[in-house]
Amino acid sequence: MNEWLPLALQILLIFIAITIVLHKRNFTIIILISAFSLVAATLYTLNNAPDVAIAEVAIGSAIIPLIYIISISRQREFIILDKTHTGFIAPDEKLEGIVYDVLDKFVKANHLKLNICCDIEGDEEDLTSELNVDLVLSVDPKTKKFVIKGKESSLLVGKLSKMVEKYDMIEVIAFEESDLYD
Amino acid sequence: MIKKLILIPLLGVILILFMIAMTDLESIYNNAGKVFFSSNAYLDTGSLNAVTAIYLDYRLFDSLFEAAILLIAVAGIMWISQHKIKEKNASFMLDKYKTPDLFITFSRLLYPIMLTFGIYVIVNGHLSPGGGFQGGAIVATAILILYYIDISKTIDVKLIITIEKILFLILLFVASLSFFTRDGLLFTNFIGSDFTQIKAIFLMLLNIIIGLKVALGLVSIFTAFLKEGR
Repeated sequence: MNEWLPLALQILLIFIAITIVLHKRNFTIIILISAFSLVAATLYTLNNAPDVAIAEVAIGSAIIPLIYIISISRQREFIILDKTHTGFIAPDEKLEGIVYDVLDKFVKANHLKLNICCDIEGDEEDLTSELNVDLVLSVDPKTKKFVIKGKESSLLVGKLSKMVEKYDMIEVIAFEESDLYD
Repeated sequence: MIKKLILIPLLGVILILFMIAMTDLESIYNNAGKVFFSSNAYLDTGSLNAVTAIYLDYRLFDSLFEAAILLIAVAGIMWISQHKIKEKNASFMLDKYKTPDLFITFSRLLYPIMLTFGIYVIVNGHLSPGGGFQGGAIVATAILILYYIDISKTIDVKLIITIEKILFLILLFVASLSFFTRDGLLFTNFIGSDFTQIKAIFLMLLNIIIGLKVALGLVSIFTAFLKEGR
Protein backbone atom coordinates (compact mmCIF):
# COMPACT_ATOMS: atom_id res chain seq x y z
CA MET A 1 0.00 0.00 0.00
CA ASN A 2 2.84 2.36 0.82
CA GLU A 3 4.02 2.44 -2.78
CA TRP A 4 0.87 3.64 -4.53
CA LEU A 5 -0.72 5.78 -1.79
CA PRO A 6 1.75 8.74 -1.96
CA LEU A 7 1.60 8.65 -5.76
CA ALA A 8 -2.21 8.71 -5.78
CA LEU A 9 -2.27 11.58 -3.23
CA GLN A 10 0.21 13.60 -5.28
CA ILE A 11 -1.91 13.19 -8.42
CA LEU A 12 -4.98 14.21 -6.36
CA LEU A 13 -3.11 17.33 -5.18
CA ILE A 14 -2.42 18.36 -8.78
CA PHE A 15 -6.09 17.90 -9.70
CA ILE A 16 -7.28 19.91 -6.68
CA ALA A 17 -4.81 22.70 -7.48
CA ILE A 18 -6.01 22.94 -11.11
CA THR A 19 -9.63 22.96 -9.94
CA ILE A 20 -8.92 25.79 -7.48
CA VAL A 21 -7.49 27.91 -10.29
CA LEU A 22 -10.31 27.20 -12.76
CA HIS A 23 -13.34 27.25 -10.45
CA LYS A 24 -15.67 30.24 -10.38
CA ARG A 25 -17.60 30.02 -7.10
CA ASN A 26 -15.78 31.41 -4.07
CA PHE A 27 -17.16 29.15 -1.34
CA THR A 28 -16.37 25.99 -3.30
CA ILE A 29 -12.81 27.25 -3.73
CA ILE A 30 -12.46 27.67 0.04
CA ILE A 31 -13.58 24.07 0.64
CA LEU A 32 -11.08 22.92 -2.01
CA ILE A 33 -8.24 24.86 -0.34
CA SER A 34 -9.15 23.11 2.90
CA ALA A 35 -9.12 19.71 1.15
CA PHE A 36 -5.74 20.55 -0.43
CA SER A 37 -4.28 21.15 3.04
CA LEU A 38 -5.68 17.88 4.38
CA VAL A 39 -4.17 15.87 1.50
CA ALA A 40 -0.84 17.69 1.94
CA ALA A 41 -0.91 16.91 5.67
CA THR A 42 -1.46 13.22 4.88
CA LEU A 43 1.58 13.31 2.60
CA TYR A 44 3.68 14.91 5.33
CA THR A 45 2.65 12.18 7.77
CA LEU A 46 3.59 9.49 5.23
CA ASN A 47 7.02 11.16 4.92
CA ASN A 48 7.59 10.99 8.71
CA ALA A 49 6.95 14.67 9.46
CA PRO A 50 4.03 14.68 11.92
CA ASP A 51 4.98 18.10 13.38
CA VAL A 52 4.61 19.79 10.02
CA ALA A 53 1.39 17.86 9.40
CA ILE A 54 -0.23 19.19 12.61
CA ALA A 55 0.76 22.75 11.69
CA GLU A 56 -0.62 22.28 8.17
CA VAL A 57 -3.96 20.93 9.44
CA ALA A 58 -4.36 23.68 12.04
CA ILE A 59 -3.35 26.59 9.81
CA GLY A 60 -4.20 25.44 6.29
CA SER A 61 -7.49 23.66 6.81
CA ALA A 62 -8.96 25.53 9.78
CA ILE A 63 -7.72 29.09 10.19
CA ILE A 64 -7.15 30.24 6.59
CA PRO A 65 -10.56 28.98 5.29
CA LEU A 66 -12.29 30.62 8.27
CA ILE A 67 -10.64 33.98 7.55
CA TYR A 68 -11.57 33.66 3.86
CA ILE A 69 -15.18 32.77 4.73
CA ILE A 70 -15.51 35.76 7.06
CA SER A 71 -14.09 38.21 4.52
CA ILE A 72 -16.03 36.85 1.52
CA SER A 73 -19.36 36.78 3.36
CA ARG A 74 -18.72 40.42 4.32
CA GLN A 75 -18.42 41.33 0.62
CA ARG A 76 -21.93 40.00 -0.09
CA GLU A 77 -23.57 42.37 2.38
CA PHE A 78 -25.02 45.70 1.31
CA ILE A 79 -24.97 47.83 4.44
CA ILE A 80 -27.36 50.75 4.78
CA LEU A 81 -27.27 53.17 7.67
CA ASP A 82 -30.87 54.12 8.40
CA LYS A 83 -31.18 57.56 9.99
CA THR A 84 -35.00 57.70 9.65
CA HIS A 85 -35.58 54.68 11.83
CA THR A 86 -34.80 55.03 15.50
CA GLY A 87 -34.01 51.97 17.55
CA PHE A 88 -33.14 48.43 16.64
CA ILE A 89 -34.55 46.65 13.57
CA ALA A 90 -35.35 43.02 14.30
CA PRO A 91 -34.56 40.50 11.56
CA ASP A 92 -38.21 39.31 11.40
CA GLU A 93 -39.60 42.83 11.26
CA LYS A 94 -41.22 43.64 7.95
CA LEU A 95 -39.95 46.93 6.60
CA GLU A 96 -42.58 48.73 4.57
CA GLY A 97 -42.57 51.83 2.43
CA ILE A 98 -41.42 52.77 -1.03
CA VAL A 99 -37.75 53.12 -0.05
CA TYR A 100 -37.48 49.65 1.38
CA ASP A 101 -39.28 48.11 -1.60
CA VAL A 102 -36.88 49.83 -4.00
CA LEU A 103 -33.83 48.85 -1.99
CA ASP A 104 -35.04 45.27 -1.66
CA LYS A 105 -35.56 45.01 -5.43
CA PHE A 106 -32.16 46.59 -6.09
CA VAL A 107 -30.33 44.27 -3.71
CA LYS A 108 -32.00 41.16 -5.13
CA ALA A 109 -31.09 42.21 -8.68
CA ASN A 110 -27.41 42.39 -7.68
CA HIS A 111 -27.34 39.11 -5.68
CA LEU A 112 -26.49 40.80 -2.39
CA LYS A 113 -27.91 40.67 1.11
CA LEU A 114 -29.52 43.71 2.67
CA ASN A 115 -28.14 44.65 6.07
CA ILE A 116 -29.59 47.65 7.84
CA CYS A 117 -27.98 49.30 10.84
CA CYS A 118 -28.99 52.20 13.07
CA ASP A 119 -27.60 54.43 15.78
CA ILE A 120 -24.16 55.27 14.42
CA GLU A 121 -23.38 58.96 14.49
CA GLY A 122 -20.94 60.77 12.26
CA ASP A 123 -20.31 62.41 8.92
CA GLU A 124 -21.46 60.61 5.77
CA GLU A 125 -17.96 60.74 4.33
CA ASP A 126 -16.32 59.30 7.45
CA LEU A 127 -18.95 56.59 7.72
CA THR A 128 -18.47 55.33 4.17
CA SER A 129 -14.69 55.51 4.24
CA GLU A 130 -14.00 54.15 7.72
CA LEU A 131 -16.83 51.72 8.30
CA ASN A 132 -17.97 49.82 5.25
CA VAL A 133 -21.40 51.43 5.17
CA ASP A 134 -22.54 51.59 1.53
CA LEU A 135 -25.47 54.00 1.71
CA VAL A 136 -26.82 56.49 4.22
CA LEU A 137 -30.62 56.93 4.22
CA SER A 138 -32.27 60.05 5.68
CA VAL A 139 -35.29 62.33 5.25
CA ASP A 140 -35.08 65.90 4.04
CA PRO A 141 -37.02 67.96 6.63
CA LYS A 142 -38.24 70.61 4.13
CA THR A 143 -39.41 68.63 1.12
CA LYS A 144 -40.15 65.34 2.95
CA LYS A 145 -38.18 63.46 0.33
CA PHE A 146 -36.09 60.40 1.11
CA VAL A 147 -32.40 61.16 0.51
CA ILE A 148 -29.91 58.36 -0.15
CA LYS A 149 -26.25 59.29 -0.05
CA GLY A 150 -23.39 57.16 -1.33
CA LYS A 151 -19.87 57.30 -2.66
CA GLU A 152 -19.48 58.52 -6.24
CA SER A 153 -16.81 55.92 -6.97
CA SER A 154 -19.13 53.00 -6.14
CA LEU A 155 -20.66 51.31 -9.20
CA LEU A 156 -23.73 50.29 -7.23
CA VAL A 157 -24.61 53.90 -6.41
CA GLY A 158 -24.63 54.69 -10.15
CA LYS A 159 -26.93 51.75 -10.83
CA LEU A 160 -29.22 52.77 -7.99
CA SER A 161 -29.55 56.37 -9.19
CA LYS A 162 -30.62 55.10 -12.63
CA MET A 163 -33.19 52.78 -11.07
CA VAL A 164 -34.61 55.48 -8.81
CA GLU A 165 -35.23 58.06 -11.59
CA LYS A 166 -38.90 57.14 -11.99
CA TYR A 167 -39.75 57.60 -8.30
CA ASP A 168 -40.05 61.27 -7.30
CA MET A 169 -40.12 60.50 -3.57
CA ILE A 170 -36.52 59.35 -3.59
CA GLU A 171 -33.36 61.23 -4.39
CA VAL A 172 -29.84 59.80 -4.73
CA ILE A 173 -26.87 62.02 -3.96
CA ALA A 174 -23.38 60.85 -4.87
CA PHE A 175 -20.55 62.69 -3.16
CA GLU A 176 -16.88 62.72 -4.03
CA GLU A 177 -14.37 61.16 -1.72
CA SER A 178 -11.46 63.07 -0.31
CA ASP A 179 -7.97 61.63 -0.54
CA LEU A 180 -7.04 58.92 1.88
CA TYR A 181 -3.85 59.13 3.86
CA ASP A 182 -2.40 55.67 3.52
CA MET B 1 11.42 41.13 -29.37
CA ILE B 2 15.00 41.97 -28.35
CA LYS B 3 14.06 41.51 -24.69
CA LYS B 4 12.74 38.03 -25.43
CA LEU B 5 15.90 37.14 -27.36
CA ILE B 6 18.06 38.25 -24.42
CA LEU B 7 15.91 36.16 -22.11
CA ILE B 8 16.76 32.88 -23.88
CA PRO B 9 20.58 32.95 -23.26
CA LEU B 10 19.92 34.14 -19.69
CA LEU B 11 17.70 31.13 -19.05
CA GLY B 12 20.39 28.93 -20.62
CA VAL B 13 23.04 30.30 -18.26
CA ILE B 14 20.76 29.70 -15.25
CA LEU B 15 20.14 26.11 -16.43
CA ILE B 16 23.89 25.42 -16.77
CA LEU B 17 24.58 26.87 -13.30
CA PHE B 18 21.77 24.76 -11.85
CA MET B 19 23.17 21.60 -13.44
CA ILE B 20 26.67 22.34 -12.10
CA ALA B 21 25.21 22.82 -8.62
CA MET B 22 23.23 19.58 -8.87
CA THR B 23 26.25 17.38 -9.71
CA ASP B 24 27.34 17.47 -6.08
CA LEU B 25 24.10 16.13 -4.65
CA GLU B 26 25.84 13.71 -2.31
CA SER B 27 27.22 16.52 -0.15
CA ILE B 28 23.81 18.20 0.17
CA TYR B 29 21.49 15.23 0.69
CA ASN B 30 23.27 12.96 3.14
CA ASN B 31 22.02 11.69 6.48
CA ALA B 32 24.73 13.28 8.65
CA GLY B 33 22.21 15.61 10.31
CA LYS B 34 19.77 12.77 10.92
CA VAL B 35 22.48 10.66 12.59
CA PHE B 36 23.66 13.60 14.70
CA PHE B 37 20.20 14.56 15.97
CA SER B 38 19.02 11.01 16.64
CA SER B 39 22.12 10.25 18.73
CA ASN B 40 22.65 13.60 20.49
CA ALA B 41 19.28 15.39 20.69
CA TYR B 42 18.06 13.79 23.93
CA LEU B 43 21.37 14.10 25.76
CA ASP B 44 21.89 17.71 24.71
CA THR B 45 18.40 19.08 25.26
CA GLY B 46 16.30 16.54 27.17
CA SER B 47 13.68 16.39 24.43
CA LEU B 48 12.48 13.13 22.88
CA ASN B 49 11.06 15.03 19.92
CA ALA B 50 14.03 16.09 17.79
CA VAL B 51 12.06 18.90 16.12
CA THR B 52 11.38 20.52 19.51
CA ALA B 53 15.04 19.98 20.37
CA ILE B 54 16.02 22.01 17.32
CA TYR B 55 13.57 24.90 17.60
CA LEU B 56 13.74 25.33 21.37
CA ASP B 57 17.41 24.67 21.97
CA TYR B 58 19.82 24.46 19.04
CA ARG B 59 18.07 27.21 17.06
CA LEU B 60 16.21 29.12 19.79
CA PHE B 61 17.47 32.42 18.36
CA ASP B 62 15.50 31.78 15.13
CA SER B 63 12.35 30.87 17.06
CA LEU B 64 12.43 34.20 18.90
CA PHE B 65 12.25 36.06 15.59
CA GLU B 66 9.48 33.73 14.44
CA ALA B 67 7.50 34.76 17.53
CA ALA B 68 8.28 38.43 16.75
CA ILE B 69 6.93 38.04 13.19
CA LEU B 70 3.49 37.02 14.49
CA LEU B 71 3.49 39.95 16.92
CA ILE B 72 4.32 42.37 14.08
CA ALA B 73 1.62 40.84 11.85
CA VAL B 74 -1.01 41.25 14.58
CA ALA B 75 0.10 44.83 15.22
CA GLY B 76 -0.16 45.61 11.49
CA ILE B 77 -3.68 44.18 11.21
CA MET B 78 -4.79 46.14 14.27
CA TRP B 79 -3.31 49.33 12.82
CA ILE B 80 -5.11 48.89 9.50
CA SER B 81 -8.48 48.11 11.09
CA GLN B 82 -8.58 51.02 13.52
CA HIS B 83 -11.02 53.87 12.96
CA LYS B 84 -12.08 57.00 14.77
CA ILE B 85 -15.89 56.76 14.62
CA LYS B 86 -17.76 55.90 17.79
CA GLU B 87 -20.19 53.01 17.36
CA LYS B 88 -21.54 52.47 20.81
CA ASN B 89 -25.07 51.37 20.11
CA ALA B 90 -24.58 50.14 16.56
CA SER B 91 -26.88 47.24 15.82
CA PHE B 92 -26.88 45.35 12.53
CA MET B 93 -29.89 43.50 11.24
CA LEU B 94 -28.05 40.46 9.84
CA ASP B 95 -26.05 39.92 13.05
CA LYS B 96 -29.20 39.15 14.96
CA TYR B 97 -30.18 36.14 12.86
CA LYS B 98 -30.04 33.10 15.05
CA THR B 99 -27.51 30.34 14.29
CA PRO B 100 -29.17 26.93 13.66
CA ASP B 101 -29.75 24.94 16.86
CA LEU B 102 -27.96 21.83 15.56
CA PHE B 103 -24.86 23.89 14.86
CA ILE B 104 -24.90 25.42 18.34
CA THR B 105 -25.24 22.00 19.98
CA PHE B 106 -22.35 20.53 18.00
CA SER B 107 -20.21 23.58 18.73
CA ARG B 108 -20.85 23.17 22.44
CA LEU B 109 -19.85 19.50 22.23
CA LEU B 110 -16.74 20.23 20.17
CA TYR B 111 -15.47 23.23 22.14
CA PRO B 112 -14.13 21.50 25.30
CA ILE B 113 -12.65 18.62 23.27
CA MET B 114 -10.73 20.98 20.99
CA LEU B 115 -9.55 23.10 23.91
CA THR B 116 -8.26 20.03 25.76
CA PHE B 117 -6.54 18.69 22.64
CA GLY B 118 -4.85 22.05 22.04
CA ILE B 119 -3.55 22.20 25.60
CA TYR B 120 -2.36 18.58 25.30
CA VAL B 121 -0.44 19.40 22.12
CA ILE B 122 1.17 22.43 23.80
CA VAL B 123 2.21 20.71 27.04
CA ASN B 124 3.42 17.49 25.39
CA GLY B 125 5.42 19.35 22.76
CA HIS B 126 8.72 17.76 23.83
CA LEU B 127 7.37 14.20 23.93
CA SER B 128 5.01 13.90 20.96
CA PRO B 129 4.53 15.72 17.64
CA GLY B 130 3.30 19.25 18.16
CA GLY B 131 4.45 22.21 20.14
CA GLY B 132 3.61 25.76 21.02
CA PHE B 133 2.68 27.05 17.58
CA GLN B 134 0.49 24.11 16.52
CA GLY B 135 -1.24 23.86 19.90
CA GLY B 136 -1.80 27.61 19.99
CA ALA B 137 -3.46 27.49 16.57
CA ILE B 138 -5.79 24.68 17.76
CA VAL B 139 -6.70 26.62 20.92
CA ALA B 140 -7.41 29.74 18.83
CA THR B 141 -9.74 27.75 16.55
CA ALA B 142 -11.52 26.39 19.62
CA ILE B 143 -12.04 29.90 20.98
CA LEU B 144 -13.37 30.98 17.58
CA ILE B 145 -16.16 28.39 17.95
CA LEU B 146 -17.53 30.57 20.77
CA TYR B 147 -18.35 33.21 18.14
CA TYR B 148 -20.51 30.70 16.30
CA ILE B 149 -22.46 29.97 19.47
CA ASP B 150 -23.09 33.66 20.14
CA ILE B 151 -22.03 36.31 17.60
CA SER B 152 -22.68 39.24 19.93
CA LYS B 153 -19.90 38.08 22.24
CA THR B 154 -17.26 40.75 22.66
CA ILE B 155 -13.60 40.35 23.55
CA ASP B 156 -11.44 43.22 24.73
CA VAL B 157 -8.85 43.26 21.94
CA LYS B 158 -6.63 45.88 23.56
CA LEU B 159 -6.23 43.75 26.69
CA ILE B 160 -5.39 40.68 24.59
CA ILE B 161 -2.69 42.51 22.64
CA THR B 162 -1.19 43.93 25.84
CA ILE B 163 -0.99 40.41 27.31
CA GLU B 164 0.62 39.19 24.07
CA LYS B 165 3.29 41.89 24.20
CA ILE B 166 4.09 41.08 27.83
CA LEU B 167 4.30 37.36 26.95
CA PHE B 168 6.81 38.16 24.21
CA LEU B 169 8.98 40.04 26.71
CA ILE B 170 8.72 37.09 29.14
CA LEU B 171 9.75 34.79 26.29
CA LEU B 172 12.84 36.90 25.59
CA PHE B 173 13.67 36.94 29.32
CA VAL B 174 13.34 33.16 29.77
CA ALA B 175 15.34 32.49 26.61
CA SER B 176 18.21 34.70 27.75
CA LEU B 177 18.28 33.34 31.34
CA SER B 178 21.06 30.93 30.34
CA PHE B 179 23.41 33.91 30.06
CA PHE B 180 23.47 34.10 33.87
CA THR B 181 23.24 30.42 34.82
CA ARG B 182 25.58 28.95 32.19
CA ASP B 183 28.44 31.45 32.01
CA GLY B 184 27.58 33.61 29.05
CA LEU B 185 25.93 31.01 26.80
CA LEU B 186 23.04 32.94 25.18
CA PHE B 187 19.76 31.39 24.04
CA THR B 188 19.95 27.81 25.24
CA ASN B 189 18.54 25.82 28.13
CA PHE B 190 19.20 27.54 31.46
CA ILE B 191 19.54 24.19 33.25
CA GLY B 192 23.12 22.94 33.10
CA SER B 193 24.27 19.95 31.08
CA ASP B 194 24.50 17.68 34.16
CA PHE B 195 20.72 17.46 34.64
CA THR B 196 19.32 15.89 31.47
CA GLN B 197 16.27 14.51 33.30
CA ILE B 198 14.83 17.88 34.35
CA LYS B 199 15.75 19.84 31.24
CA ALA B 200 12.20 19.30 29.96
CA ILE B 201 11.00 21.96 32.43
CA PHE B 202 12.55 24.66 30.23
CA LEU B 203 11.01 23.18 27.07
CA MET B 204 7.54 22.97 28.65
CA LEU B 205 7.81 26.53 29.94
CA LEU B 206 8.76 27.91 26.53
CA ASN B 207 6.09 25.81 24.78
CA ILE B 208 3.38 27.13 27.11
CA ILE B 209 4.50 30.75 26.62
CA ILE B 210 4.65 30.38 22.82
CA GLY B 211 1.30 28.54 22.77
CA LEU B 212 -0.44 31.29 24.77
CA LYS B 213 1.12 33.99 22.62
CA VAL B 214 0.08 32.35 19.33
CA ALA B 215 -3.45 31.64 20.60
CA LEU B 216 -3.99 35.23 21.76
CA GLY B 217 -2.51 36.63 18.54
CA LEU B 218 -4.74 34.53 16.29
CA VAL B 219 -7.83 35.31 18.40
CA SER B 220 -7.14 39.03 18.04
CA ILE B 221 -6.72 38.62 14.24
CA PHE B 222 -10.09 36.82 14.08
CA THR B 223 -11.73 39.49 16.18
CA ALA B 224 -10.35 42.21 13.91
CA PHE B 225 -11.75 40.41 10.85
CA LEU B 226 -15.16 39.81 12.46
CA LYS B 227 -15.54 43.34 13.79
CA GLU B 228 -14.13 45.07 10.71
CA GLY B 229 -16.51 47.87 9.77
CA ARG B 230 -18.79 47.00 12.65
